[in-house]
Amino acid sequence: MSWPRAWLTLVAPGLLLAACAQSPKTPVNLGGGDPQRGSVLLVREACGACHVIPGIQEAGGEVGPPLSGMARRTMVAGVLPNTPENMARWIRDPQAVVPGNAMPNVGLSQQQALDIAAYLATLR
Amino acid sequence: MLIVLAWGAGLATVGVGALAVILFGYFDVTASTPHPPLIAWATHMTMQKAVRRNAAGMPPPPRFTAANVQHGFALYDGHCAVCHGGPGVPRAPWISGMTPGPPFLLDTARQWTPNQLYRIVRHGVRMTGMPAWDQTMTQADVWDVVAFLEALPGYTAGDYARARAAETAQSSAPPPRS
Repeated sequence: MSWPRAWLTLVAPGLLLAACAQSPKTPVNLGGGDPQRGSVLLVREACGACHVIPGIQEAGGEVGPPLSGMARRTMVAGVLPNTPENMARWIRDPQAVVPGNAMPNVGLSQQQALDIAAYLATLR
Repeated sequence: MLIVLAWGAGLATVGVGALAVILFGYFDVTASTPHPPLIAWATHMTMQKAVRRNAAGMPPPPRFTAANVQHGFALYDGHCAVCHGGPGVPRAPWISGMTPGPPFLLDTARQWTPNQLYRIVRHGVRMTGMPAWDQTMTQADVWDVVAFLEALPGYTAGDYARARAAETAQSSAPPPRS
């Protein structure tokens, strides 16, 4: 990890909170998940080996798309409208949504997938 | 004089504090919670710098052939995929319980040179759960694993599944008659 990225890892959660605090106008739809639990799962499931994910340890992978600003995206995986429910569906069973893609089904529960979707919904 | 005393007192306090952490167990050694960001950064950075340093004096890596990649795939699928997964291939479910957790390696060849990968596979990484494969693999085997890791960014989930099917068919075929 480079110095700037390490520094970013340390301060990103703070920046995120500051950013959230500054824009209370648009209420964020987190679905039924807990973003705090989601951030732990993103580390545990090694999502950062393939994705850049702001605020997540060592998440600098360049295999799949970066998840920065995920809350602003229109589509999940290019095929599902970006809602927390659809994000959870994709995370739980990516091979059913886009057969043959590189993202594996890692055996998450529905609640775990919703928790991860909730964290991603905070990335504006 | 006063500055020297102040520095001495400061360093002594840090030393006593560190000793207290060790002697009284004031450190979360469980794998249930991820590393605090500072520990994660310090340990990972140390590992990266040490691997680069240790691989720096190595001679250039061998040229890899298709046979090296194929044998490397068989070794990877049999020994590595359980913890590191593959394209479209999950890790074993219990691997999510490790701290630090083993990463997927789809773009690891873009982060490390072949020599650095060889060092990591051959000698393992202390305090991460990564074994030293020189205990059970020959040096040629380790190079074959590296050959596969170099080829891995070009593997789709379908390619990996087909390679796995071909490997299974080959290993379950009756042995050639002599």
